[in-house]
Amino acid sequence: MSRRMTSADAKQKRARACALAALFLLALLIMSRREPATDYLPAEQQTVVTEKPQVCLHTLLENEVEAESILLTLELARELGATTVVQFFPWAYVEREPGQFSWSLADRIVRQAEMQGLRVIARLGLIPDWARDGDTETLNHLTEDLFPAYAAYAAAFAERYAGSVEHLIIWNEPNLSFEWGFQPVDPARYVRLLEASYGPIKRANPQALVLAGALAPTLEPRGSAAGLNELDFLQDMYDLGAGVFFDALAIHSYGFREPPEAEPAPDRLNFRRSELQRAIMLAAGDDHKPVYITESGWNDHPRWTQAVRPSQRADYTLRAYDYVERHWDWLKNLCIWAMRYPADVYSYPDNFTLVSADFAPKPIYYALQNYARGWARSKTPWLPPPRPEA
Amino acid sequence: MKRHLHIARALTVALPMALLVAAVLRHYQSPDPSRAFPNDEIVIGVDGSFPPFALDAGGELHGLDIDLGRALARNIGLPARFVSVSFNSLYDSLISGKVDLLISALRVEPARRDDVRYSRPYFDNGLVLVSDASAALAPDEIAGARIAYEYASSADSQIRAWERALMRIEKRPYELPAHALDALRYGQADGALVDATTYRLYVKSQEEWRANATFVTHDPYAIAAGLDRTDVGKLVDGELSALKQSGELARIVATWL
Repeated sequence: MSRRMTSADAKQKRARACALAALFLLALLIMSRREPATDYLPAEQQTVVTEKPQVCLHTLLENEVEAESILLTLELARELGATTVVQFFPWAYVEREPGQFSWSLADRIVRQAEMQGLRVIARLGLIPDWARDGDTETLNHLTEDLFPAYAAYAAAFAERYAGSVEHLIIWNEPNLSFEWGFQPVDPARYVRLLEASYGPIKRANPQALVLAGALAPTLEPRGSAAGLNELDFLQDMYDLGAGVFFDALAIHSYGFREPPEAEPAPDRLNFRRSELQRAIMLAAGDDHKPVYITESGWNDHPRWTQAVRPSQRADYTLRAYDYVERHWDWLKNLCIWAMRYPADVYSYPDNFTLVSADFAPKPIYYALQNYARGWARSKTPWLPPPRPEA
Repeated sequence: MKRHLHIARALTVALPMALLVAAVLRHYQSPDPSRAFPNDEIVIGVDGSFPPFALDAGGELHGLDIDLGRALARNIGLPARFVSVSFNSLYDSLISGKVDLLISALRVEPARRDDVRYSRPYFDNGLVLVSDASAALAPDEIAGARIAYEYASSADSQIRAWERALMRIEKRPYELPAHALDALRYGQADGALVDATTYRLYVKSQEEWRANATFVTHDPYAIAAGLDRTDVGKLVDGELSALKQSGELARIVATWL
């Protein structure tokens, strides 16, 4: 059955179409401005239960494919008794086009950490494609004319997460040539990056603490193509006036094959080498500034030359925390590298993690959990070494 | 006129065929080494902290990967120069052109194929199920068997995967993978699950012991070259095949493992 459309019908139809179009546009507008995904959050705000507030873990959530993996990793961190996580927030992931910030991943990580009751120390680096030197494809080659662009990213980060993330590490291991896209290491260049970043960050969030350093522990002498030892690098930083451009020092302090109490010396790599950096700070009058060890730990791969046995790894790690508690009142956090990798690399770096890529906690995880939570030490999860039967 | 048509028809068939044959020949033709490596040397990046593949002993590099690199370079006809690189910077050193090749116990990582070109595998470091030669145990016979392994290792993950598949296994976890093989040798386990390197190193040190090993997983180690360096990739694959066929690769592996 059909009937002729009257002019009233036509008006009504036009009005309906206009309303639908308006609704569609409104939905588009809402979707484009909606808050970032907050999926996979815990049902309610969680609280860290710990007896050792210095316990901190370095997470690697920036490359997680599944949002659920971020939740699980942070849950395990909280259940271990860690108060703090160090997390990398790659500039390349956030500012894919100059001035166009996409915060969805960073939002998700920060929000999830907050919901677990974890404090976040942010490491900022990794250069976007548009900011890379055309002659190189490495993700760390930043020319000085783009230092203000890096600073703008750091300031935008500081502003966005004011009240949530108050600790910002500028760059990573700047005493290694690799971390500068294989350019020669130059403490003056790093000081200029600190200088470029410090003011904009403080203006964006006056409460933010700018952490400098995060220098790699290495014995490389001056003139080495690979890098410069962190002691000379830090001394050079102070000599160049870097002290006014940071509020705290980040240190990387690995134990390698030595126990945590082993004496430090400029020609030895061990856990207490951090004391040599602290001595340089004191000599420069920076005794009031706190220190965060943002990477530390031992490796237990059976064949890596710098590894120890799994039982030693657990023992040394707990003894390191004990040592810190008794002797280093200047240290705020001791952060273990690394909580978990998103995927195995099938080589010895896998043996730095506390939890395997498939979320199986390792003996070191349980040892650290018992320590942080004040639980009794559990017995070793493996059988004693086999002996020939008599 | 008819003859001309025949010629034209023949040409329309023959010309594309000739072009195809030329393309195929070009594809299989070994590239010119001096074009592939314009600096007349092959710069090889290696992490010298991971024996028996590479060990930096006082500035001198030794190991399976070093011998393999030298053999490849010798066959290509250019000198090899090794550069010690930390594990974390291996791929960056390749992508940035600091080195021509990486030979550093690198497992093929599919996610990196956008950046690098892997050679054919030269070693498989997958998990092997080891049993005593007198009581060989196949992977499909492990239900109810006592299996020794390193706790919290990739073998542990594999055991858990088997358990998830409702396979009942009597688990014998040890602190070290060598302990798992000890347990097997002493008759305290029916099988041991370890990676191929651990297995080969162990049997090398226990010459009187006869063991049987079957691959359960595969972790192929390969040589990495820059994605844009097609000639380098072809040369490496060609020479790697030649080393395999001549038995030289097996000899190099047997020297170290």
